[in-house]
Amino acid sequence: MKLFFREQILLIIFYLLQLLVISFIYWLDGYRNLMISLYAAFLSGFLLIGYLFIRYMTNRSFYQRLEKPLTSMEDFSGDLQPSPLAEGLQRLLKSQFRLYKTDLHNYKYKLEGHIQFINQWVHQMKTPLSVIHLMIQDEDDPRFTAIGDELDRLKKGLEMVLYTARLDTFDRDFYVETLDLQKVVRTVTSSQKRLFIRSRVFPNFQFEGNLSVATDEKWLSFVLTQLITNAVRYTVEEGRKIYFHGYQRGINVVLEVRDEGVGIPSSDLPRIFDPYFTGQNGRNFQESTGMGLYLVKQICEKLGHRIEIESTLNEGTIVRIII
Amino acid sequence: MFKILIIEDDKQLVSLLKEHLYKFGYDTKSVDDFAAVRTQFEEYDPHLVLLDVNLPKFDGYYWCRQIRSISTCPILFISAREGKMDQVMALENGADDYITKPFDYEIVTAKINSQLRRAYGTYASSQNGRTTTVAGLTLDVERMSLTFSGQEIELSHTEAKILDELMKRAERVVSRDRLLEKIWDDQAFVDDNTLNVYITRVRKKLASLEITEALQTIRGQGYRLLPIWEDNK
Repeated sequence: MKLFFREQILLIIFYLLQLLVISFIYWLDGYRNLMISLYAAFLSGFLLIGYLFIRYMTNRSFYQRLEKPLTSMEDFSGDLQPSPLAEGLQRLLKSQFRLYKTDLHNYKYKLEGHIQFINQWVHQMKTPLSVIHLMIQDEDDPRFTAIGDELDRLKKGLEMVLYTARLDTFDRDFYVETLDLQKVVRTVTSSQKRLFIRSRVFPNFQFEGNLSVATDEKWLSFVLTQLITNAVRYTVEEGRKIYFHGYQRGINVVLEVRDEGVGIPSSDLPRIFDPYFTGQNGRNFQESTGMGLYLVKQICEKLGHRIEIESTLNEGTIVRIII
Repeated sequence: MFKILIIEDDKQLVSLLKEHLYKFGYDTKSVDDFAAVRTQFEEYDPHLVLLDVNLPKFDGYYWCRQIRSISTCPILFISAREGKMDQVMALENGADDYITKPFDYEIVTAKINSQLRRAYGTYASSQNGRTTTVAGLTLDVERMSLTFSGQEIELSHTEAKILDELMKRAERVVSRDRLLEKIWDDQAFVDDNTLNVYITRVRKKLASLEITEALQTIRGQGYRLLPIWEDNK
């Protein structure tokens, strides 16, 4: 309504001006009957109002459309009245929408191609990894141990690339089942045994009863691997332990991973889940990407688990996953 | 002798697998023309097939179906894809088991042995009952027993693993890290102290066979098994 008036205000002003000019010419000519003049002005004004009314009524939906913001991409296809302006607008919106859609589709297609490429590439890289892995398996020489350590880093790096790329298509890539929490934790820790042994840090388990959780094994294992890598990496003293404590809290199952490492400065704590944030510890220790905890948080959110973190400097860190 | 066909396009991996399986007494052959896997399978007529998923021309699933249409021999997939769906796909296309890259030699041999045992009966297991002998001292890893000059003693699972590693590398130093890695599995977690305890137990077992001071501690490095018992006799 407002838009309509703003649009027509010039016409109204123009009309009033015209009325004045014509009345003035008649006045100069000597025609002085005010009542007739006013009557003529009233009739003419009435016609104008009638015109404006008809115009507004026929294009009502068009103006309403213009005034209301779009709520979604497909929102414009409401039923419009068959007036030339409304139809024109509809056509314009449709063609624009189509253009946007093709453009968007192109990008989507490219992105999917990219994810697929990364997937394929990571899997291809696993073959050379397995070859090196097999070649050094029967060797017990410090040099081969060093190669083994580097190999582990490569493997972790590749996993991280794979999981980061998969995060976007998470909804197509997860499978929830009932799992024995203790079994999952033990499998993951034993897959990281080289890391534990090399750092002379050992796990300790405490599970209260049989804890079964409904979650995706692959993603939870990835999360645990990240937490274990962090816990071991930031435990500088040898002979320390990483404590895995599983227990029931209300309707939830909680898995607590506690280390006796350097801890996280309280100034860094609020930002540890940000991508690429490495913080003070990241600067003091090698191979920190700042992606680990970010991915952990993202994955936990998607799986519907909560994550809590507590840390005291020089005493250690506790991470809790509430499943 | 069991025949194993290896269908994998990475030459290096193939040669490592061949070498390893040869040690375990298997006859192996690898495929070199990936357009004619089926004819090579028919020519060689293997007892078991190791099959990669990503192959040139056709993928592993395709060849798996092809082989299944002419044979029921065990097929083991080797693939980099660790996803559940990929494993399900493999099994639904007729595979018997699935190994993910990177893998350990132990996993491959264990899975091959179990598949052969299932398909061709107990004959397979007796062939592969692995024993290691060092100067008259014989270790049977599967039966977990140690024999020396007619005397046999029982070993625990972990003791057998430790002795296996030490005897395979007799006269050489085996690092503590390596031993820890070997005896660590999902159930038993070992730290340094536990390893010390196990080493003491192994020494006691050896002593009961009248072998003393053969298992030496090399400070800062690890342990070494010297076959000095020959001289004592």
